[in-house]
Amino acid sequence: MRRGTIVRWGVPIAAAAVIGAAVGAGPVIAAVSGEPVLPERTAAQLLADAAAAVKKAGGPPAMSGTVQQTASLGLPALPAQGGTASPLALLSGSHEVKVWYGAQDRLRIALPGQMSETNLIVNGDQTWYWDSGTNTATKVKLPAKPEGDQPLATPSPTDLTPQQVAETFLDRVNEDTGVSVTNTAEVAGRSVYQLVLTPKAQSSLVKEVRLALDGENYVPLQVQVFAKGSAEPAFQVGFTQVTFSPPAEENFAFTPPAGAKVEEKEFGQLQEPGADHSKEAEKAAEQVKVVGNGWTSVAVLPFKQDGQAQESREAQAAKLILDQATPVSGAWGSGKMIKTKLVTALLTDDGRLLAGAVTPDELVKVAGQ
Amino acid sequence: MSTADTQTGARRTPGLVPVSETRRSAERAAAPREPSVLSEPEPSGGVVAFWRLLRSELGLTFRRPRNLIMLGVLALVPVIIGIVLKSIGTEDADGGMGALLAATAGNSLMLTFVALSALVPLLMPIAVAVVAGDSIAGEAGTGTLRYLLAAPAGRGRLLAVKYLNAVAFSVAVTAAVAVSALVVGVLLFPVGPVTLLSGTTVSFADGLLRILITVGYVSAGMAALAAVALALSTLTEVSIGAIAATLVLIIVTQVLRAFPQLDWLAPYLLPTHWSGFDGALRDPIGDMSGGLLAFTAYIALFLSTAWARFSGKDISS
Repeated sequence: MRRGTIVRWGVPIAAAAVIGAAVGAGPVIAAVSGEPVLPERTAAQLLADAAAAVKKAGGPPAMSGTVQQTASLGLPALPAQGGTASPLALLSGSHEVKVWYGAQDRLRIALPGQMSETNLIVNGDQTWYWDSGTNTATKVKLPAKPEGDQPLATPSPTDLTPQQVAETFLDRVNEDTGVSVTNTAEVAGRSVYQLVLTPKAQSSLVKEVRLALDGENYVPLQVQVFAKGSAEPAFQVGFTQVTFSPPAEENFAFTPPAGAKVEEKEFGQLQEPGADHSKEAEKAAEQVKVVGNGWTSVAVLPFKQDGQAQESREAQAAKLILDQATPVSGAWGSGKMIKTKLVTALLTDDGRLLAGAVTPDELVKVAGQ
Repeated sequence: MSTADTQTGARRTPGLVPVSETRRSAERAAAPREPSVLSEPEPSGGVVAFWRLLRSELGLTFRRPRNLIMLGVLALVPVIIGIVLKSIGTEDADGGMGALLAATAGNSLMLTFVALSALVPLLMPIAVAVVAGDSIAGEAGTGTLRYLLAAPAGRGRLLAVKYLNAVAFSVAVTAAVAVSALVVGVLLFPVGPVTLLSGTTVSFADGLLRILITVGYVSAGMAALAAVALALSTLTEVSIGAIAATLVLIIVTQVLRAFPQLDWLAPYLLPTHWSGFDGALRDPIGDMSGGLLAFTAYIALFLSTAWARFSGKDISS
């Protein structure tokens, strides 16, 4: 080969190398960045600081950013959903949401779709839900909030010191969970502390849960759930881009555009207009029995396989998954086993549905009880 | 480049323009110059020759009936969409596209976005692929490439001219669709503030600005495709081969995108980024940098491949 030829073809090869490096650089840098920039903390210190920061600021600081949710549960790919808003769609693939957070009562969440966008805008006592797909603006009437309702940790942070909160939490958790802290990780370009929770139970499918807290203001930036035997998180939700500064005011101002349908709805009716799922859900919740505790809890609930309502997308998806289930049987009877990376479910022929983040063996054991 | 000289000097096919010859003729034109494979444009005579060549190239492209017909057909599509929307109405429109159609009935500017989202996946790429895929292979096929190379232009410069020509056509295709849609929209539908996908309403002028952003983005996407077609065009002397190969690539990538199992592949495929122009319809304007970076990467990769191939190729026709 002539020297010129080699030199010439070196240019596109170099271009490919540069592009490849640029594409691959993100994850590699994240994995290699071993230099801890944050001081070391124990889990108790970290939690205490986080609780103190939340208490002092009275909530997370003003911020905006992009949140990405990725799930690779090992489910069979579901048929394409009409709208990305369907909760089932969140079970596979990756989804992006834009968030603007001004204060406790100023929030905008946008779900961009192909040539469409769904928005939830909370501004003071006004809450709007805008769906460009149906050209509908919905004014949401929130149910009257019970006074003193705290969305955060169960033991109210007001009557405990942050240290106490941290210790209470760790005591409760320590029985079946290993807790550690790393200070080397980075999320959305910010140094974070990662609180790593590792289940001690052998039969749990969860390897570890990683909660990333911002190194400066302790805002949770990412949650990752790792399944046993895989290096990639089975479920992940976190910021891919975040800035801690008050977002522009116009993000929270919403007036229904001219020509749009304007509706008014109660909070509970938002998801499925017409169908009231809350009653069914309540009824189902009464029948659920939880066996075991901690990471190895298994939910047992009655499950009826009926031939009705097959038209709905959810039913079709459920059927698709059931078709791929493996039949199992034992002394307890027989049924169909669905195994994903994180969750195992067993549908017995006598009409029980058992589900939990446990190994199939554990599930069969519970079924036999 | 003495090595090349000795190699091709011995046996000589009639009508063959070897690599070294093109270089020599290019070197003669700009005498006091380092013999360079790249043959960069010279500050004085080179630049003039370059622009003259580009002007004549553009003249040929935009006078060619085939290209004008393609532009005309593309510009006709928004007219048809507009008339259909006006006469049928959009009451029973449903779903994502339906809402966009419904929005068109309320505002003239939206027709541009409807027309672009209908044409960007396939029809506009076909037009661009025809011109860019024809650029080198077509000259080779009709036997005019060696005359072009006999003129003191240099191969790198000829390739640059051909690519800029294809880029100009990409912009023309996008502009033809946008302008036609704009005119039809203003004639048929109410003119006024525009409702964005985010539900925010912006002024008509802001809407026009957003159309300009969209045209720029879509043109960049088509220019990236033109680079791919140009690279394929340097591989063959049959222009229909290069055009067909580009079309097959477009269709295959579009099909691949339809499989949810291949979602991980989608960000690397060119057509995925074409539809990213809907970012111009969000408030604040959506992040289009990812798409633009992808286009740049495609252009860099395929232009350098085209150059490496073309500057080392013996032209036999």
